[in-house]
Amino acid sequence: MTYLIETTSVKMEYPHSDGVIQLYDEGVSLRVDPGDFVAVLGGSGWGKSTLVNIILGLEKPTSGTVHFSGEDVTRASFVKRCSLVKTGAVFQRPTAVPQLTVGQNLNLALSMAGIPKSERDERIRESIAFFGLERITRAYPESLSAGQRKRIDLARALAIKPQLLVLDEPTGDLDTSASNLVMPLLRGLNKDHGTTILMVTALPRYASSAHQLLHLKPPGFITPSKRIDR
Amino acid sequence: MEKPSWASFVMGGAVPREFTDLLVIAIIGLAGLQAYLTRFTVGGVELGFLTLFLSVLPACTLASLSNATRKLREELALFAYGGSTWQVWAKHFLRGFTCSLIALSPFLSLEIITTGYSINSRSLLLLLAAVLGGAFYSGPSLRRVRSAEFAESYKA
Repeated sequence: MTYLIETTSVKMEYPHSDGVIQLYDEGVSLRVDPGDFVAVLGGSGWGKSTLVNIILGLEKPTSGTVHFSGEDVTRASFVKRCSLVKTGAVFQRPTAVPQLTVGQNLNLALSMAGIPKSERDERIRESIAFFGLERITRAYPESLSAGQRKRIDLARALAIKPQLLVLDEPTGDLDTSASNLVMPLLRGLNKDHGTTILMVTALPRYASSAHQLLHLKPPGFITPSKRIDR
Repeated sequence: MEKPSWASFVMGGAVPREFTDLLVIAIIGLAGLQAYLTRFTVGGVELGFLTLFLSVLPACTLASLSNATRKLREELALFAYGGSTWQVWAKHFLRGFTCSLIALSPFLSLEIITTGYSINSRSLLLLLAAVLGGAFYSGPSLRRVRSAEFAESYKA
């Protein structure tokens, strides 16, 4: 069976006033097979969100390659990657169109994912019920709390029934009780529905659900003449 | 401790500093120029059309640059939903085109009615102005989504 994602020796460098910050000193080499639950664990500023962006095609790595279903997509867009592997993404910062209500946002996301109109209402109803968003379906995202907006993102990503779900700190902005709901949900999606999950988190207790664990290391710092520490 | 003078604070506001201030100056200046030039014609076309084009461009750029934070949120969401750069561009182009067309529609309608429901060169110039409005409304958005900082906005 072919893999969904494979990254090979992915490295990233950022210019800095005194030199260059280098993420993933040894390069990130990761293989995600269908049905996997992969967790990427690392501290703040270690490049977790950057890795999510690289995998989704929102940032290009300085070196290394990213393959989706056997195809080199290192320079390809998120849209291209979605055409190879149906991907749902939940970012660290909640993302919703501010001019649309919660229900309209879900409808738009499903429409853009190519879900037929006849199926959308049912999927929206399911997702909204699952995340307990019934009372805020007609609300605008900017009037909601960060935790509610996070739940909208999760509902939106799951409504398209993705093959691959990429999550950047899925429990960020959620209170403890909501966080405690999310992890069993992700485990259930992975185990019962076969949804492949790639999740980055700073919290080891959430990474314990994963089949595969990748530990990031702190970034290095390179000056033009010599390399200093980590 | 010496209190800062309120006068210097307030008077500091009199100095245009932002790019959008420049656009406002350009629009008002062009409106004035238009009022002056309408009496002249070159090759049968009033010079006022020239300033119409010149005022549509900064006005649409200004509208696109205003409320950029909210527009950025919208663009981030559209990409997260699987949208592409050209879709985002098309969305903003249509918005700019529609705004310009609404603004110009009284003159366009008048032109069509007075020429017996036919399209003449003046009508085409008005439509071209609306198209340029769309292009200049979508320009800042395209620049935003293609910038290196765009993907950084997904990070908290």
